[in-house]
Amino acid sequence: MSAIVRVENLHKSFGGIVVADDVNLSFETGEIVGLIGPNGAGKTSLFNLISGVIPPDAGSIFLEDHRVDQLPMHHRARIGLARTWQNTRMFHSMSVIDNLLIATRRYPGESLARILFRRRALDAFRQEATEKAVALLERVGLADKMHEMAIELSYGQQKRIGLARTLMSDAACLLLDEPMAGVEGQAYETIIRVIREEAQAGRAVCVVEHNISFIRDISDRTVFMFNGCVLASGSVEELTRDSQLTDLYFGGEHPQ
Amino acid sequence: MEYILTVMVLIGINVVLATSFNLILGYGGLMSVAHPIFYAIGAYCSGLLAIHLQIPVPLSILIGAGIAMVLSFGVSLPSLRVSGDYLVIASIGFQLGILHVINNLDFTGAAGGLTNIPVLNEGPSRSLVFVLLIAVVAACAVLLVAWIVEGDYGRAITAMRNDEEAFSALGRNAMNIKIVLFAIGSGMAGLAGALYAHYFAYVTPEQFGIFTSAALLTMVVVGGAATTWGPLVGAVLLTTLPQAITFLGLPVSIMAPLQGVIYTTLVIFFLFARPQGLTGGSRGGGGLEAWSASAAFRARRDAE
Ligand SMILES: Nc1ncnc2c1ncn2[C@@H]1O[C@H](COP(=O)(O)OP(=O)(O)O)[C@@H](O)[C@H]1O
Ligand SMILES: [Mg+2]
Repeated sequence: MSAIVRVENLHKSFGGIVVADDVNLSFETGEIVGLIGPNGAGKTSLFNLISGVIPPDAGSIFLEDHRVDQLPMHHRARIGLARTWQNTRMFHSMSVIDNLLIATRRYPGESLARILFRRRALDAFRQEATEKAVALLERVGLADKMHEMAIELSYGQQKRIGLARTLMSDAACLLLDEPMAGVEGQAYETIIRVIREEAQAGRAVCVVEHNISFIRDISDRTVFMFNGCVLASGSVEELTRDSQLTDLYFGGEHPQ
Repeated sequence: MEYILTVMVLIGINVVLATSFNLILGYGGLMSVAHPIFYAIGAYCSGLLAIHLQIPVPLSILIGAGIAMVLSFGVSLPSLRVSGDYLVIASIGFQLGILHVINNLDFTGAAGGLTNIPVLNEGPSRSLVFVLLIAVVAACAVLLVAWIVEGDYGRAITAMRNDEEAFSALGRNAMNIKIVLFAIGSGMAGLAGALYAHYFAYVTPEQFGIFTSAALLTMVVVGGAATTWGPLVGAVLLTTLPQAITFLGLPVSIMAPLQGVIYTTLVIFFLFARPQGLTGGSRGGGGLEAWSASAAFRARRDAE
C-alpha cells in the first residue's frame, strides 16, 4: 500500500484552543480510515487543514508525495483532495444536478474565453459531466430529485448529495465529515456500499462519524482524536477495549 | 423636446451603470459600492485624453472604458483577501481615495469639474442621435450580462455567490471569476462615464460620490438584484422619479435631502419586504440575500 495523503507534525491552534497538536497520519490507497473522537476534538479542523480551508501553524501535508500545505484550496481539490462538509453546504439557489455539475474535473464553464472559442469541446465535457452526475445520483438513490432545489431536500438527502458531489472529480482522497448524520433506512446501506466501492477503486477514504457501529462496519482502521491529539489508532474493538478512551469519548457512559 | 431627450440619455447611462453594478453585486455577490468611481474614471480619462491629446472622441471613449477595466484590479485584487462587509469598507476607501485625488488635481479641474470636453457628435439632431446610440449600448450591456450569467459560467457564478468555500473545495477558482466580473462590470461603467462626458461636455467629482453609489444600489435593489430586467426597470424608475419630483417646484434645499430620503427608504423597504425586487421571482435577491432581513431568506440561510 502507498500513502495518498500524509500529514506530518501538524500543528494548529485558535487562540488557546489547540485543534491539531503534532498530528501524524496517513491515508493509504484503498483504505477506509474511521476518525472518531468527542465533539471539539478537532476532526473537522483536521479536514479543514488538509483541504486548505485553514492554514496550519506548522507541519506539512503531502498528497501523493507532493507537498500541498501552501497550495490554495481549489488547487488541492484539482489534484485530488475531495471533501464533504459537516453542514452539507449545498449551493442553495441551485438544483441538485447543478450542485454536482460544478464539481466536475473539467468544468465547461471555467472561463468566458473558452465558452466563446471552444464551444464544441465544452459541449462534449458538459455531456460527459451530466451523464456522470446522473449516474452518481442513481448510485446514492436520488436520481428522481435531480431537478429539485438541493436546499429543499431533507438533511440526510443533502448529505447524500454532498457525497455524490465529492465523487464527481475522481479525487484520490475522500474526506467525509459525518456522512451518516440524518441518513436513515435503506439510504444507510447505500452509503456504506458507495463508500466501500470508492475505496475498492483505489481511493483513500477518511470518515468522521459519531455512529460507532457504522465506523466498525466500514473502517479498516480507526483513529481516535482528543483535544487535537491523535491518542490511538487500531480497530474499533481495540479502541473500545481501552476504558480510558471510552471515558474520554462517552464521558463515562458505556458505548452501545 | 430637448429636455426629454436629455432624460433619455440619462436613463440609458443609468441602465448601463445599474446593469453592470448588478453583475458585480447582484450576480457576483461582491459587496463593492465603488461602482461610481469606475464611471468617473471612464469620464475623466476619456475627457482628458480628448482635451489634451486631441485623441478622436470615439477612440478616447474606448480607452476610457479600458482604463476603468484595468483599474478595477484595484478593487478585485484586495478582494482576494477580504470579502463581505470588509469589501464594502475597502471599496468605499478606494472610491473616496480616488475622488479625493480628482478633487485636488488642477488638471482634472479639481472640485470645479472638468469643462469643455469635446462632444461625440454635433448637429441639429445631436441629442436624438445620441439617444439612439445610448439605447444600442444599453441593450448590448443588458444582453452581455444576460449572456455571462447563463449556462456554465453563470452556474459557477451562482455557486461562488452561494458558498465560496464549498465552491473552492470542489476545485473551482473563485478569484478568476471575481476578477472577470469586476473587470467587465467596471469597464461597462467606464464606458457609461465616457459617453456621459462627451455628451454633457462637463463632469464634476461630486457626481461620483457615495450618493451615486446609493442611487445605483437603489436601482438594483428596487428593480431586482440578479435578474436580467431588474436593473433596467430600476434605472428607468429612479431616473424619471426624481425628474418628476422637480416638477413639484420644491426649493433645492428640500429637493436634495428628499431624494436621499426616497432612495434610503426604497432600499430598506425592498430589502425587508421584497428582496427579489420588482421583477425577481420567488428566489431572487442574488448577492443581496446576505443583507436581506426577510424571513424567507433568513430561513434559507440558517438552514445551512
Ligand atoms: N475557525 C475557527 N476559529 C476558532 N475556533 C475554531 C475554529 N474552527 C474550530 N474551532 C474550535 O476548534 C475546536 C475543534 O473543532 P472541530 O474541529 O469542529 O471539532 P470536531 O469536528 O472534532 O467536533 C472546537 O472547540 C471549535 O470551537
Ligand atoms: Mg466536526
